[in-house]
Amino acid sequence: MGVVQYIAKRVGLYFAVLFIGLTITFFLPRFMPANPIDGYIGELQSRASGSLTSEAIAELRDNLEQLYGLKGDLFTQYVSFLNRVVLHFDFGPSFAFYPEPVSNIILNALPWTLTLLLTTTVLGWALGNMVGLVAGYFHTRKLATLLEIVGIMIYPIPYYILAVSLIILFAYIIPIFPLSPTFPVGDISLSKIWLIVYNSLLPAMALILAGFGWNILSMKALAVATTEEAYVTYARLKGTSHWTRMVRYVFRNAMLPQVTALALSIGTVFNGALLTEILFSFPGVGLIMRTAASGGDYNVLYGAITVSIVAVATAGLVIDLIYPLLDPRIRHK
Amino acid sequence: MIRLNNLVAAYRTGRGSINAVDGVDIEIPDRCILGVAGESGCGKSTLMKVLYGDVLSPMSLASGSIEYGFNDDQNKPVTSDTIQKQWFKRISYVPQSSMSSLNPVVKIGKQFVDFPGHEPNKRKVMEQVKTYIGKLGLPVEILDSYPHQLSGGMRQRVMIALATFFQPELILADEPTTALDVVVQKEILLLLMELQEQMGNTIILVSHDMGVHYQITHRMLIMYAAKAVEYGESDSVFAAPLHPYTRMLISSLPTIGDESARNGIPGSPPSLWGELGGCRFAARCPLATDKCRAEEPPLVEHKPGHFAACHHAGSEIPAAGEPIWQ
Ligand SMILES: Nc1ncnc2c1ncn2[C@@H]1O[C@H](COP(=O)(O)OP(=O)(O)O)[C@@H](O)[C@H]1O
Ligand code: SF4
Ligand SMILES: [Mg+2]
Repeated sequence: MGVVQYIAKRVGLYFAVLFIGLTITFFLPRFMPANPIDGYIGELQSRASGSLTSEAIAELRDNLEQLYGLKGDLFTQYVSFLNRVVLHFDFGPSFAFYPEPVSNIILNALPWTLTLLLTTTVLGWALGNMVGLVAGYFHTRKLATLLEIVGIMIYPIPYYILAVSLIILFAYIIPIFPLSPTFPVGDISLSKIWLIVYNSLLPAMALILAGFGWNILSMKALAVATTEEAYVTYARLKGTSHWTRMVRYVFRNAMLPQVTALALSIGTVFNGALLTEILFSFPGVGLIMRTAASGGDYNVLYGAITVSIVAVATAGLVIDLIYPLLDPRIRHK
Repeated sequence: MIRLNNLVAAYRTGRGSINAVDGVDIEIPDRCILGVAGESGCGKSTLMKVLYGDVLSPMSLASGSIEYGFNDDQNKPVTSDTIQKQWFKRISYVPQSSMSSLNPVVKIGKQFVDFPGHEPNKRKVMEQVKTYIGKLGLPVEILDSYPHQLSGGMRQRVMIALATFFQPELILADEPTTALDVVVQKEILLLLMELQEQMGNTIILVSHDMGVHYQITHRMLIMYAAKAVEYGESDSVFAAPLHPYTRMLISSLPTIGDESARNGIPGSPPSLWGELGGCRFAARCPLATDKCRAEEPPLVEHKPGHFAACHHAGSEIPAAGEPIWQ
């Protein structure tokens, strides 16, 4: 009963978010004063030194509008946009790499982003919460305050400063990692995997550190509050070990708000990942977006934004669906 | 037999130290239900904490000692310093609120085996727990449930089951039924009583409800402002209370058919921070004399096994209605 309702609500919300997100990505560029096709034709015209005839231009415009889904009135465009994106995962061809379909470009980049993001999010969450838990559970001891100070120091550093500092520190001052990492493409071999892992360590470290400080501080606060719960006192008076109380009593309860917080912050985490890719030339969706934005490759940009919306919403949904497994009060209403 | 030797428990705070239990010196015979009563703040919970050996800052055992009357595994007598090793083996406790005392995200059954206990084989303990739960007449499925799935009364039965499962010598219960409605309260107390009769352990029960004490206790300890002011067999204490404070507590009990609202005892206990000369009850006592204000009355045995700390123990209080206190 409770679970079915809970899941239905989350899934419903998920589709609502996707729908609104897609609708905004559709309308927003159409309200912009510049028409991408005008820009594209202008560019071609200047490359051809103005030798295109007006018939040729009209034909080109017609083709391009067909190609990019700009034909007909706004409603027709909207319906055909939803149809193409939702049913066929089709964003048309890339401007810059014509006629390469945008979906191919994105599907090549997506595994990179997802792997980096998933590993670092899970690691950052786990490490931050572990440190925060120890700091909170033993909050009356001096040594634990030291752990909290780590969080207090890392937390306020803006993400890009953290990333650039890491680059300066570990690629320039102590050159352990390459300044401009290269990521091999094509078939995967063992040596390539090693190279990829090695080159990903620095961006991964930046992402882990970014979530680390916040997780320490918020877990510490939650753990302190939880140690004061009557069930922790009762467990102590039953004679349970510190370990049992810290893990089975304090962590199992204090982690619940942390899971919810992760679901809510997954968008921010994703933004961080995109920024990391740009800073570390990591060949994921973020890098593609950057290239597309500076090259005016609208289709790639739409595609990447759409996929980002889907990725963030899906990650949030997955966490929301895991939640009942952790909290029996939702599982057994 | 449990002996409390002149127990003094103090709280150290920013403005100094107070004795919340101040020189309690009694012997508790085995196999008895001892009721502890007294107004809020008189030191009942502090006494229970000291008895349980849960002495944490800012509280400390300023002086005195406890002899529990049983030996540990090395055959040494258990004292206030070693009682912690006996938690949920030979001493257990029933918490005040069952709602908040169970881990909300762990099944009840697991909460029976997540502490050392006697038996390292958890599977074996689980089997014994199942049998025991059945014996108490509780549905075995509750062990597979989470706390929020049970009613308040059922949860408190679980707490009783937890506290009695290991057949400890001593069970402490500090207002174990305050959060429950009257009918359930009674059932829980009857269960506790029944188990005590079967197992023959000693229960120390704190309650502000003199009716509860009257029904289930064998002995009574009345506390006032950190002092033990009366101690004796319940029959004797209820039939012929010696201390004016006890008399007033008992007469504040509603009797059947009596619809008139009962007032508490007028006035309030002295601050433990202030000067505490003479009898601490003097300011509220209808019998107070100059001697009372000057000299602290010791706890003395007035009748066999019946103690009171009052210079005029056993004297009648002037009939109610007369303006005896100004
Ligand atoms: N943590 C504490 N710090 C300082 N004083 C305390 C603390 N806990 C209790 N006290 C004081 O000790 C006295 C007895 O408290 P308590 O044993 O809880 O009384 P009771 O259980 O009879 O209501 C009270 O005056 C209270 O103010
Ligand atoms: S000693 Fe005096 S003041 Fe104290 S209770 Fe007895 S009669 Fe009352
Ligand atoms: Mg109390």
